[in-house]
Amino acid sequence: MLNNTANVHNLKVGDEWPVLRKKPIDEVQLVRYAGASGDFNPLHYVESLAQKAGFNKLIAQGMLVMGFVGQAVSGWIPNKFLRRLRVRFVNVTYLGDTISVVGKIIEMREEGQEVVVTSEVKAIDQNGEEKITGLFEAVLLK
Amino acid sequence: MSNKNLKVGQEVASFEFTIEKGKLREVALAIGDLNPIYLDSDAAKEIGYQDVVAQPTFGFIMGLWGGADFDVLVRELDMNPIKVLHGEQEFLYYDEINPGEVLSAHCKLKNLEEKKSMYVFGLETEYFNQEGELVLISRSTIIERK
Repeated sequence: MLNNTANVHNLKVGDEWPVLRKKPIDEVQLVRYAGASGDFNPLHYVESLAQKAGFNKLIAQGMLVMGFVGQAVSGWIPNKFLRRLRVRFVNVTYLGDTISVVGKIIEMREEGQEVVVTSEVKAIDQNGEEKITGLFEAVLLK
Repeated sequence: MSNKNLKVGQEVASFEFTIEKGKLREVALAIGDLNPIYLDSDAAKEIGYQDVVAQPTFGFIMGLWGGADFDVLVRELDMNPIKVLHGEQEFLYYDEINPGEVLSAHCKLKNLEEKKSMYVFGLETEYFNQEGELVLISRSTIIERK
């Protein structure tokens, strides 16, 4: 397991980044993120509408869960080295879900004086279901 | 290739967005991301940033507040709002985003595919700083189920 570091000499393909474990998503977080982000889709805060749309519970904003992914990534590698973050939203996240973010280095490519480090990243819930899958690239000095 | 009266390459929205310290902080706290580089100017400067910076997913939020919000997208892309899903999201980072900057953004329709059961829209928003330098690209894949 890696330490939070940007020293390229400590990194190799296959290394896993430290898991970020979030608290369960509660109503306050959904409302707070709605207000902060400007995503006022009521499926995130009006339960009767979420149920009408076919969900059992309130659903979390996909971008909130991507925010968790961003939190993990910038905990692993300082923001200034981050070049790209790409995710796919593969399953709906619900109120009460406890999300963990996991990541692993899948490629390291030398480009001049720099090394492009590509990692896969996933957000999974308490049952191991994938909510987000994706990758990020960071550029570190050799 | 679709029944929608849309042209790939057309502009969906164009807007300016002023970066405010309080908004950067509000978003980080809403995510529960307590990294001091989003919250504390002194701590951010000590680590080598010019000031607090934007959380990695802030680009999407600029779109929502700046002019490419859900209602605009639904109208411009002629979508049924209850059938819309966010399929994929990508950010490309070119420079720090600090408080006080006024970014200009241009959101374009880059891709449109009609499949059997859905439309797939590819949107790309480029953000430029006051010097005209590209600082961020945000790409969204939006799905409208039929």
